[in-house]
Amino acid sequence: MIFTLTTRRAIRAAAVLLPLVLAGCASLSQDGGYSPVQSLVKERSGQDIQWVKSEDDAAGVADTIAPLLAKPLSVDDAVKIALLNNKGLQASYSGLGIAEADLVQAGRVANPSLSFGRLRRGDDIEIDRSLMLPVMSLLTMPFASKIERRRFEQAQLRAAGDALAVADETRHAYFSALAAQETVKYMEQVKVAAEAGAELARKMAAAGNWSKLEQAREQSFHADATVQLARAAQAQVAEREKLTRLLGLWSKQAAFQLPERLPDLPKAPQEIGDIEMQAMQNRLDIMMAKRELSGLAGSLGLTKATRFVNILDVGLMHNNYNQGPSRENGYSIQLEIPLFDWGGARVAKAEALYMEAVNRSAQLAVNARSEVRQAYAAYRSSYEIARHYRDEIVPLKKRISDEQMLRYNGMLIGVFTLLADAREQARSVNGAIEALRDFWIADSALKMAQTGRSSTAADSKPGASIVAAAD
Amino acid sequence: MVSRRNFMSGAGAVAIGASLVSRAGAAMLPEAVTMTAAATQPPLSPPNGRPYNPVVTLNGWTLPWRMKNGVKEFHLVAEPVLREIAPGMKANLWGYNGQSPGPTIEVVEGDRVRIFVTNKLPEHTSVHWHGQRLPNGMDGVTGLTQPGIQPGKTFVYEFVAKRPGTFMYHPHADEMTQMAMGMMGFWITHPKDPSQHRADRDFCFLLNAYDIDPGSYTPKTSTMLDFNLWTFNSRAFPGIDPMVCSQGDRVRIRVGNLTMTNHPIHLHGHEFVVAGTDGGWTPPASRWPEVTTDIAVGQMRAIEFDATELGDWAFHCHKSHHTMNAMGHEVPTMIGVDQRDVLAKINQLVPDYMAMGETGGAMGEMEMPLPDNTLPMMTGSGPFGGIEMGGMFTTVKVRKGLARNDYKDPGWYRHPAGTVAYEWKGSDASMPAAARAPDAGGMAARPGEKVLKVIKPGSQDKH
Repeated sequence: MIFTLTTRRAIRAAAVLLPLVLAGCASLSQDGGYSPVQSLVKERSGQDIQWVKSEDDAAGVADTIAPLLAKPLSVDDAVKIALLNNKGLQASYSGLGIAEADLVQAGRVANPSLSFGRLRRGDDIEIDRSLMLPVMSLLTMPFASKIERRRFEQAQLRAAGDALAVADETRHAYFSALAAQETVKYMEQVKVAAEAGAELARKMAAAGNWSKLEQAREQSFHADATVQLARAAQAQVAEREKLTRLLGLWSKQAAFQLPERLPDLPKAPQEIGDIEMQAMQNRLDIMMAKRELSGLAGSLGLTKATRFVNILDVGLMHNNYNQGPSRENGYSIQLEIPLFDWGGARVAKAEALYMEAVNRSAQLAVNARSEVRQAYAAYRSSYEIARHYRDEIVPLKKRISDEQMLRYNGMLIGVFTLLADAREQARSVNGAIEALRDFWIADSALKMAQTGRSSTAADSKPGASIVAAAD
Repeated sequence: MVSRRNFMSGAGAVAIGASLVSRAGAAMLPEAVTMTAAATQPPLSPPNGRPYNPVVTLNGWTLPWRMKNGVKEFHLVAEPVLREIAPGMKANLWGYNGQSPGPTIEVVEGDRVRIFVTNKLPEHTSVHWHGQRLPNGMDGVTGLTQPGIQPGKTFVYEFVAKRPGTFMYHPHADEMTQMAMGMMGFWITHPKDPSQHRADRDFCFLLNAYDIDPGSYTPKTSTMLDFNLWTFNSRAFPGIDPMVCSQGDRVRIRVGNLTMTNHPIHLHGHEFVVAGTDGGWTPPASRWPEVTTDIAVGQMRAIEFDATELGDWAFHCHKSHHTMNAMGHEVPTMIGVDQRDVLAKINQLVPDYMAMGETGGAMGEMEMPLPDNTLPMMTGSGPFGGIEMGGMFTTVKVRKGLARNDYKDPGWYRHPAGTVAYEWKGSDASMPAAARAPDAGGMAARPGEKVLKVIKPGSQDKH
């Protein structure tokens, strides 16, 4: 959009627009706008993030994560590693750079151009000098800058949201991998019990005490247990690889250690006061919607006032947020000469657009409140279930086993009943592990629902038990 | 509270249930005497009425009576009781006057008997006087000859004890439950002439069975055949007292069977005759000698023998699982199964597990914790170690020169030198060769061997 004016008029126009040009001027920041992202994430997760832009940064990250990988990984360490090392996250930080570049670009006037022409027609020589100034960009610059500023802030919020989502996914994957690892351990016990049973059954048959039928029955327990163990091992690999991907690890680093056991259940579940209010203040998607709305309000005001500046097609940032950089949105600014259309329809459209955004934001807020309530309910109920397993089911199964042992002593039951009982007990312990895993995942989902954005984990059902599926 | 002690010379714990009957009724009703001790009580010599030679109820007692206008009046109270089955195990049963089985009722042929029956159970009951000739309306079958005695009510039964012999009493109302809970008692009608059928020692007890799940206290009342406690008078060995006799005594043992299966009752060291059945006394000419007599369900037998042989003689039901206490019915046989390699694996899961049964069922001196209120399967030890018997087992102890009324346990028999089986200490060469069946080993069936002939077993009784 470059006007060609005669030199005089151009100079006059430039004199009129100069203050505007200076107001819209911006320059690239030192950190690419990253530090607000860091503090947004730090406030919400307690973790540092880093945008790896140089060899030195990469070396720093490697130095930070190396000692963490040297010992069994805690969940916080896992989150720390993911936040530093997840390549998808780095890609999302780059989006921040793009947005900032756009912002700075919007604040700069295109360079004026000077042209000189010499034409000869017979003996006539015409010398044409012209100065071309980017008047249009001077005119639209203030509006464009405002919009780009908003877009840039949105990009910051989005990058922070991406980091929190990675933290949540990492916690989820961490607890799943750890539980799967523990499950393998208990399935191994079940298999040992079945193995002992099968071996005894073989000896019983060899001694002539048992029929082939009874032997086959006991052997089939063993055969089933073998499959269950293989399934559990498969699940363990899948869960662990999911975590490894999130941590951005490969090669030797992928051989990281997980602790033996899931963290214990907290003594009491968190009591959260006004959970909805907190979510309204802390959730990044709500913050984005608010900024979007204030931007649109500005556009509406401008449209009403001028009637010939059209800034209508600003993308609504809260749309398709999850899909990250693939989302399409943007804006266009038009300056029109108000000759035939005095802009009534345009104002109406701007109002409609504004109201659309208002209602979308309201819906987002309603959903967010509901999500956070649901996440808290899931958190509480998974706490109760895990506690019930720990305090009731597992001790009860243990007591049953103890009583069975007494019955065995009195020759009231045989060794096969004891073994079957040991299998049952191992299963109840495994049920407890799965309940504990579900609690920690719900705990993470609650954090996400309070601070981040719509969490799919709030809707997810507790992981299907391998044992239950095999039964 | 001890005013009835004169009835029970030397009786241990006799208490009067004074509060059992109302003040108005007390004038009419004979006192209901109760007994809580589980030990055998001395015989009750008749303080009034016709004379007779009293019986000794094994781990039980005889109900005192009062004479009223020539009628013998008894008062039975049907009520929940706590019975010690053997030291270390108690059962919530239903019984009469503090015990299950209830007290023995002893009368004399021709006595007019009036029995007050007060029901303190939570459901209606009745008493059937098993084996008696009596007016039909006194037979105690609910619905058929009388309405049930409702809880809190007292009924009166009155009849003449027409014929001498051995009888029982038990409810004929909700029998399945009430008998499974221990409602039963012994009844003896002595002959008018005390010298007739006279014995020096006259023991009696009922055979009963309970299904009490190890760790619990109340019998399962719906069990039909699979009982796990087999008892004499609701006691299991080693909780059953010995039957003490003086050498040369004519001994009578009267046994009534109120279990749901037959019991071959077996005496060691003596042969006996079945001198009495439900129908009365067996004519001497028709008695034949036995060492085991089978007592069918609902039957009474009186066996008699002369206790000529000194010693401690085993006396028991010959069904071996009736001489065990609670045991598992589904326990696999582990004989010949070497568990050593598997043991470590099992111990990973069940740390307290000990391999048992590889060499058989005897557990020697092994002591292991059991569920609450559970009798070890085979207990009771004698002078030579574990007797490895439980349930329906006791001893007949024959000693020289005991006083007529001396029923005190004389302790273990002291065998004269050279009268106890001994270990062969000679060399193998000097031992006579044992005869062997030809190729016995080669004939034995082996696991996996094809069985060509199938012989179908006939109907198989569970017991």
